[in-house]
Amino acid sequence: MDLPGSIHDFLIVFMGSGLILGSLGVVLFTSPIFCAFSLGLVLIYISLFYILANSHFVAFAQLLIYVGAINILVIDSVMFMNDLEYDKIFHRWTVGDGITSLVCTSLFVSLTIIILIASWYGINWTTKLNQILEQDLINTSQRIGIHLSTNFFLSVELISIILLVALIGATAVARQ
Amino acid sequence: MDSIKYFTFSMIIFISGIRGILLNRRNILIMSMSIESMLLAVNSNFLVFSVSSDDMMGQSFALLVPTVAAAESAIGLAIFVITFRVRGTIAVESINSIQGSGPFSLGERIRFELS
Repeated sequence: MDLPGSIHDFLIVFMGSGLILGSLGVVLFTSPIFCAFSLGLVLIYISLFYILANSHFVAFAQLLIYVGAINILVIDSVMFMNDLEYDKIFHRWTVGDGITSLVCTSLFVSLTIIILIASWYGINWTTKLNQILEQDLINTSQRIGIHLSTNFFLSVELISIILLVALIGATAVARQ
Repeated sequence: MDSIKYFTFSMIIFISGIRGILLNRRNILIMSMSIESMLLAVNSNFLVFSVSSDDMMGQSFALLVPTVAAAESAIGLAIFVITFRVRGTIAVESINSIQGSGPFSLGERIRFELS
């Protein structure tokens, strides 16, 4: 999306803050329904991120699949399990929780250092010759369609079959 | 495109997903939501690299990842619903039906160490 730099940065920071709050909500809320709604918020903000990054097709596909299907499925499951016990008492930290926090903090610090140090703009990407020709002729959605029907044809077919089998299996299991 | 900001946010989502898996041992539903957020972070990285290199392979792959996530969610949630119907709880400790009972199984080792 071609926005002025300051507005683009403001939108990134605003939506990033929403993303961080939503992901913390998924982890820290004790009630599963609040976690499910936080997950929905994260998924919507990620789609808006994708729109900012000029990937409109993937953004709307993500809204349909993740928010419209997966999140609704999660919320329905939480409603089926309506007598879930909540952690109302304060869960005291154990040694395992301390080690987990240490591991996550060290991972966070190391990944932050890697992201800041790596020269992302200095990487030379190798592109095929015909891709350079394609860029001027067709838009993003058509290019994605060409890739899905040529390079990813087998992957798409296999994943479709996997999804079909998984959904039929889940329905059969849940009916019992 | 400022890739560093996108990488930072996806990294934070990924680590919060890891934290959610390791923290929420009492509720497997929240663990599955944390796994979803990890998949989301990885998907976001695919897309950011794809856009910054102007290559459609990453965006095509980013369309296939939610499909796999949908399949995994459907199966997982069906199992959780059945488990809750049978056992009345979805605490991770109670989902141990496939635990082995031999001398070298994990369950036996944990019981031995705790006793």
